[in-house]
Amino acid sequence: MVLNINQVNSEATAIIDDEGKALTYGQLCHYVELIGTQIPTRSVVFVLSKNIPGSVAALLGCLNCGAVPLLIGSETDADLVDSLLQLYRPQYILQPTDLPNRHHLEKKAEFLGFDIFATGEVPYPIYRDLALLLPTSGSTGSPKLVRHSLNNIEANAKNVAEGLSISLKDRPLLILPMHYTMGLSIICSHLVVGATIVMTEKTLTDRALWKVFEEQKITSLTGVPFSFEILNKLRFFRNDFPYLNLISQGGGKLSQELFSTIVTYASERGKRFVATYGQTEATARMSYLPAEKAAEKICSIGLPFPNGTFAILDENGNETITGEATGELVFKGPNVTLGYAKSIEDLTLGDENNGILFTGDIAMRDGDGYYFIVGRKSRFLKLYGIRVGLDDVENLVKSNFPLDCACTGNDDKMLVYITDSTYEEKVKQMILSKTGLFHQAIEVIVKDEITRSQAGKVIYSQQ
Amino acid sequence: MTTLEQLVKIFADTFQVSTEQITDGFSSETVDNWDSVTQLSLVTTVEDTFDIMLDTDDILDFKSFSKAKEIIAKYGINP
Repeated sequence: MVLNINQVNSEATAIIDDEGKALTYGQLCHYVELIGTQIPTRSVVFVLSKNIPGSVAALLGCLNCGAVPLLIGSETDADLVDSLLQLYRPQYILQPTDLPNRHHLEKKAEFLGFDIFATGEVPYPIYRDLALLLPTSGSTGSPKLVRHSLNNIEANAKNVAEGLSISLKDRPLLILPMHYTMGLSIICSHLVVGATIVMTEKTLTDRALWKVFEEQKITSLTGVPFSFEILNKLRFFRNDFPYLNLISQGGGKLSQELFSTIVTYASERGKRFVATYGQTEATARMSYLPAEKAAEKICSIGLPFPNGTFAILDENGNETITGEATGELVFKGPNVTLGYAKSIEDLTLGDENNGILFTGDIAMRDGDGYYFIVGRKSRFLKLYGIRVGLDDVENLVKSNFPLDCACTGNDDKMLVYITDSTYEEKVKQMILSKTGLFHQAIEVIVKDEITRSQAGKVIYSQQ
Repeated sequence: MTTLEQLVKIFADTFQVSTEQITDGFSSETVDNWDSVTQLSLVTTVEDTFDIMLDTDDILDFKSFSKAKEIIAKYGINP
């Protein structure tokens, strides 16, 4: 069975939800098989996920029967879900029972707080190794998806479990949404060793979350940089959590100050702090900084996980694997995904990456072989831990208003340039409502015209 | 601006609503976009404006306008 979950003691607890309700590995296997009886192999399935055990069963059920799930958050804007539905015409939709059946679809079955709906769409050809689809920039409803194979998912699960020394005694708290690549990686890397995942829909500023943290004797906590800003504000690093053993971080760069705060906390309290680096395109994670090196290599992304390798491209496009160097970071490993899909036809495409990912990030390798991210070539931002494609937002603005638009900015704030002041507030409200971003993460700026090159290309550095 | 007016303005700015909407009933239960991002922003602005530092319990309890008034009063800021 997928991730070998049937090899774990069937009485052991796989998942605990917010109410403390436990699902054993035996029960999880039962639901995975049940879903397989409802959904034909090679179907395309939309899974609208939230952090409840049913979402994990839905995902694994699809993977195990050879159906291909597209994971999206259950709170995604309805118009954006509809545009994805029109584009990818899935045969089934799995969604939490509390969501409305907006398209009056035929209900096939129910499991663990989820409904299975048949859409009546006709199956179409898809690539034989295609196993899972994740959006690149979920919040903008971009049609661009990352195509994963089962091998990608299992390699990520095993390599991360090995690199982070995850054992069946671990009890991670999953706060990150499971439709984020990192959330998914936490789930897979723990299920593969038979650990117990505590899933929550609550946020770090909910008192109820801290009750769960204590009662469930949480041993590991994973967050994005913004999670650690909240933890710091909550004076988390002044308290002892006796069961907590591992603090891991991904999803962008921590400030040096915060990185050092966590390192100090971990060393004084005898805990491990492991910073990691990854992208959806590499099934979440590529590298980690071993805990014992954290104090020495502040803000480093460390070394590749087992079975992966890094190289840096020099100015002439040659790969270098040793010695000090700075350039685009290239990753090779079994977790490099198959490629992108932007349309239904792209689901027939094979492996376009062949295990090699040009990350679009600029990295520096020091004399000891440790890597540091120093810049980014690609056109996206990470705002409060959410990846937002700048081109996706431009398209969103251009398709909703008769405007020229250019987006740029940094990981603190996105700058949206438009050319007509009467639309300033409308553009801002539209982006906020579609993406769910916090208003302080966006600034709309009106200018006479968008600066372009003679060839008509937007010059982002000169807006 | 009185302390109360300052507090109302912080809430209105954070949640992007008019100051008339900031009443005692304004809480995480009734406001859609009240999440960890808005809460952190709210607490940070309150701390900076009134030059106070809230403890963990007070940050976790900072979930409504009426509670906010109560909490800042504990730090000697009387709305």
